[in-house]
Amino acid sequence: MLTIKVLGSGCANCKRLEQIAHKVVEDMSMQAEIIKVTDYNDIMAYNILSTPGLVVNEKLVSAGRIPSEAEITTFLTNALMAE
Amino acid sequence: MNILSFLTDLLYSGLGNLASYLAAHVLLCLLPAFYIAGAMTALIPKETVTRFLGRNTPKLISYPAAALAGSLLAVCSCTIVPLFAGIYKKGAGLGPAITFLFFAPAANILALIYTGGVIGIDLAIARLILSLAFGIGIGIIMALIFRNEDVEHDKATDAMFAAQGKMRCVALIFLLVLVSLLLSGTLKVGLLTDTYATLTVPISGMDKFQGFLYNLIPYDSTKGEEGVTAQGAILIALLVLIGITSWKGMENIFDGFNIWTWTSLSLVALTLLIAAVGMSPRSVGLDILINGKFFGVLTALVILGWILKTKLTEDETRDFLWESWKFVKQIFPLLVVGVFAVGVIRALIKPEWIETLAGQNTLLGNLAGVVFGVFMYFPTLVEVPIAQMFLSLGMHRGPLLAYLMADPELSLQSILIISTIIGKLKSWTYVAWVALFSTLAGLIYGAWVDGASIGLVSLYLIVFLALLSALLWFVNHRNEQKSASVPADC
Repeated sequence: MLTIKVLGSGCANCKRLEQIAHKVVEDMSMQAEIIKVTDYNDIMAYNILSTPGLVVNEKLVSAGRIPSEAEITTFLTNALMAE
Repeated sequence: MNILSFLTDLLYSGLGNLASYLAAHVLLCLLPAFYIAGAMTALIPKETVTRFLGRNTPKLISYPAAALAGSLLAVCSCTIVPLFAGIYKKGAGLGPAITFLFFAPAANILALIYTGGVIGIDLAIARLILSLAFGIGIGIIMALIFRNEDVEHDKATDAMFAAQGKMRCVALIFLLVLVSLLLSGTLKVGLLTDTYATLTVPISGMDKFQGFLYNLIPYDSTKGEEGVTAQGAILIALLVLIGITSWKGMENIFDGFNIWTWTSLSLVALTLLIAAVGMSPRSVGLDILINGKFFGVLTALVILGWILKTKLTEDETRDFLWESWKFVKQIFPLLVVGVFAVGVIRALIKPEWIETLAGQNTLLGNLAGVVFGVFMYFPTLVEVPIAQMFLSLGMHRGPLLAYLMADPELSLQSILIISTIIGKLKSWTYVAWVALFSTLAGLIYGAWVDGASIGLVSLYLIVFLALLSALLWFVNHRNEQKSASVPADC
């Protein structure tokens, strides 16, 4: 099972990214846990300079923007293959 | 009796202020400003600036780069806080981080454009230059005061700041055309404001409509209030339409563009064109004055449309529209409420109060401006209409600048967030320095407005900076001696 983390304090883009992540997971009908990380010290542990950030299985895959659904699908597929 | 009519008066004052505000100021200045901010967020890769903020960058580059990052990248708190934490903990250190923190709210692109459009270019430029000088100044001071703690950076590498970003040429052109759209709509030069042709549309009754509006929303031009014209009413109606179509077209933009997206964009273009021309209603019809602004705005819009359609990728267009819409959604409602509240408050404040307190460029007046800025928290950009209210009530431009510098920097909310990252002591030291520098900024700018020569003003500035650096050198020197006297092995 994949662990997906959405890094962000709760600004508009972070919420949007969380929605898209949920949608992609549903569309791919896969098992995944989506966690919101809102504490800045925890967010900074991932070495990002702007939110929202997306972390799949503890690996940072995107930061500072909202990736498209297609991109997120690719991230998740790659992570599944690596498992 | 009086309570009811008093309340109605307040309500009218608020609504009147809001209506005249939307009609007069928002369109040619704020609308392009939102799109510029959106384009900057979406199209400038953050790495173009952040790579100068790493730990190994010389101070001469990292401080200005931090200010630049504040101005270009940080309109939204989503960027400000992580970038601040990143620069502080893993990058250039406390000094540039503070410079960034100071500069971002005071001189980001939205705040500058808005100040320039509403209050005056002179105040916008003063805000920019003084924020730059003082932002870097406070950064250096903080770095010196806390330099012992600043060395304990964590051991991560510079990798986070190493990424290279390249901005696409066409994105840069897009941004420049957006800026020229703003300038052609707001600059007051003869070439743009002269009328070149007059078109008479045979719509009768527009003059009556305008008279009706003046009756509905009475105004007193001696108090700096503005009425709503017939043109203003049309523009407000268009704004409402833009709001509705954008809600349908932009909110779901990640599911793809739809007909509403393009409708709302066309409406924005139409609105800007109508806002650019002059209108004078007469009994026989409506005179439309085609001026230079109209041609400037038209040209810019055509180029923008062409780049948007043919040169930008779909992802870029989507990001650009989404970021712009996000700013509108985030800031505009607060601005509407704020402007309404300003209208209500204006009816309550007596001009004599402001005049006694801050009508002159005195130390007390400037302090009053700063204290008001620190203890009142207004959402982003609302400080500008509030400043305009003070100006029309007789506040001197010096204390006004002091207020404008202090208010966005210091709010309880931002102090709390900062203190979770750098600790309470550093936060409050920062607050004290901002208060001091804002007061000085007001005094210096006020002296200039009152007619002191540039030479004298720069002399003040230089004397102050010299005193400050002497003090810092002294503190630094003493600390060095102290640390030298301590045995190395303890």
